[in-house]
Amino acid sequence: MKKFNEQATAGLYEKGLITENQFEEIKSYRSLNIFSINTELKLFLYLSVLLFTSGIGILIYENIDSIGHIAILSVLLVVIAVCFFYCFKNSKGFQKTETKFEHPVLEYLVLLANILTCIFIGYLQFQYKPFGEHYGLATLIPTTVSFFCAYYFDNRSVLTIAITGLAAYVGLSVTPQDLLHINDFYASQNLSYSAVMLGVLLILWTIYSNRIGLKTHFGLVFLTFALHIISISSISNLTGYVVTWMLFAVVLAASTYYFYKVSYAYKAMSLYVFMIVYGYIGANIVLFRIFGDVDFSDIWELLVLLLPAYFVGSIVMFVILIKNFHKKITA
Amino acid sequence: MIVYDKKLLDNQILVDEAQTLYKGGFISKEQKKFVQNELPVFKSQENILVRIGFFLLSSLLYGSICGAISIFGISAENAYFQISFYIFAVVGFAGSEILAKQNFHNHGLDDAFILGTIMNIGIAIAITTEGYEAVIAFFMAVASICMFLRYLHLLSMLAFCLSVTAFLFYQMFEFGDIGKAILPFVAMIFAVFFYFLTKKMMYSLTKSYYLNGLLLANSFCLVLLYLSCNYLVVRELSAELLGAEVKPGTDIKFAFFFYAFTFIVPIVYLAQALRTKDRIMLWIGFLAIGFSIYTIRFYYAVLPVEVALTLGGLILFAIAYFSIRKLKEKESGLTFKPDRINHSDAFLNAEALVVASAFGMKPEVKPQDSPMEFGGGGFSGGGSSESF
Repeated sequence: MKKFNEQATAGLYEKGLITENQFEEIKSYRSLNIFSINTELKLFLYLSVLLFTSGIGILIYENIDSIGHIAILSVLLVVIAVCFFYCFKNSKGFQKTETKFEHPVLEYLVLLANILTCIFIGYLQFQYKPFGEHYGLATLIPTTVSFFCAYYFDNRSVLTIAITGLAAYVGLSVTPQDLLHINDFYASQNLSYSAVMLGVLLILWTIYSNRIGLKTHFGLVFLTFALHIISISSISNLTGYVVTWMLFAVVLAASTYYFYKVSYAYKAMSLYVFMIVYGYIGANIVLFRIFGDVDFSDIWELLVLLLPAYFVGSIVMFVILIKNFHKKITA
Repeated sequence: MIVYDKKLLDNQILVDEAQTLYKGGFISKEQKKFVQNELPVFKSQENILVRIGFFLLSSLLYGSICGAISIFGISAENAYFQISFYIFAVVGFAGSEILAKQNFHNHGLDDAFILGTIMNIGIAIAITTEGYEAVIAFFMAVASICMFLRYLHLLSMLAFCLSVTAFLFYQMFEFGDIGKAILPFVAMIFAVFFYFLTKKMMYSLTKSYYLNGLLLANSFCLVLLYLSCNYLVVRELSAELLGAEVKPGTDIKFAFFFYAFTFIVPIVYLAQALRTKDRIMLWIGFLAIGFSIYTIRFYYAVLPVEVALTLGGLILFAIAYFSIRKLKEKESGLTFKPDRINHSDAFLNAEALVVASAFGMKPEVKPQDSPMEFGGGGFSGGGSSESF
């Protein structure tokens, strides 16, 4: 409702919190009656890329033996080439800092070209096995291409694809919906170690990039992946055997401390919140394990009565943590 | 009726305005901070993640308080069970009052107690009346509108809209088959009536405290109106409620009307939204068009899914591309230039996340099981993005 917005601006002006010039400027801007469908149209572009690539993916999958392979491959190759041609033609070349295309459509063309390249290589491997049984290599090549595109064209979406590819190479599935279900950290300890290693690697890469000033705005993406990978793999190991759970408790504590520091440095609420949540869950599990052997059967009613106090304490702690963080990042 | 201090509510509006003006680049950071320091406001959480976190914690607290109370009552068994949820509701109300007096508003902590109260009232009534749906819906509606009016709590408004609709439906069921048969039309008239009623109320407001709630109810009416006479919804509901099987070659009664409705309403929404510059209606229009396409595909598979997806992608791309080209240089009115005041780019930030879920690569541990799992994650992405 426009009249209430204008009222609010007028309220600020009456209290002397904004100057007359500012008030006039705001008023004249509002009278332009701008109705921007920027977000909506970008969303359409984005959806169109998702729909198109999904369609192509299924098309190839369904017709894997019926249409001539060469035909499919060459059509795909032509589309990829056209997309990349436009992207390269209009890009300003590689830059260490954040860059943007002049035309918003190109950003989505990069995404399209990249996903199609992954499909192309996947199809190639399935049909002709150029990498033989080296499936790792078949993952690594799309990953490399994605990293190159992400850094050259400065595209975050492509960067996430590249990171999932890297994780897939070490045997992890880090797509958001799989992170909690598919990876069986409990069954295979090696997977947990490689998960932690991957997380550490991502952190080291972020630190190095920061030092040489290479695409520093990508840092948050890397750190987000690192936080979730390390924390989830350590938490799922906290229920395991005696020696390992202690080891992973230490890992979780260290990562929580590191991300506490780093979320202040990046002023990133999303990192901070998840860091707290994982730390809290981990601390509770550790507490439970330590007291797990004590026999509470006589005083369980007392415990139930204490529970509200425990939660009140946690809430107070969280409120203070969040408040401090707010103060720091807005200062 | 409003529990909060009016002064604080007014301050909140001014501070929010200062925040938007700062983001739009109209005022400096110092000015924004000065406004924030000058005017005391509520304890609230803008970050949705933090709010959800506090909501969960607060639900745990609420649950544990109820658990502690139950320890005393558990010996009374059945008698306690009859009244326990009323007690829980009172606890929830007391919790909401305490938090409101501490100036918590839209914080997450208060959400859990307010919604918990409404839910517990529903359960309590259900136990007392042995599951009489219409009565439950009625009391939940009363509880949620009270919560909305007292705490200006938007989710309660949503609960109110849902329970009023449920009440209407259950009342219609009381009339037997006739009631079920005319249900779509009654729902449609109901939605239209309340759409214009809420619209009128919004215009006659002098203070903006209740504005967002009315806006929500207004949008709810739009959604209900579209769904009430959508072909898919009507056909499936009539099969469910009346047991009317649609045999091949026949169709439901007034099928022509429902088909027409399914297609005309989204277009009317879009046209009206662009004409009146109404963003919420625009989004509802987009979603309605999507659902209309789904409706048709549900009964008539005109094209195989992969061709439909590919073509859909191409068409959507063309629409977006030409609209951008047309609107790129416009300075006022409908434009592609980002608005300095209302920019809703929250979704664009989540873009990368969606890409990762749809197209993330998966490890190929057992290639013999699923040959399509390797390398090109695009294949497996096909399934997950169909939900769009």
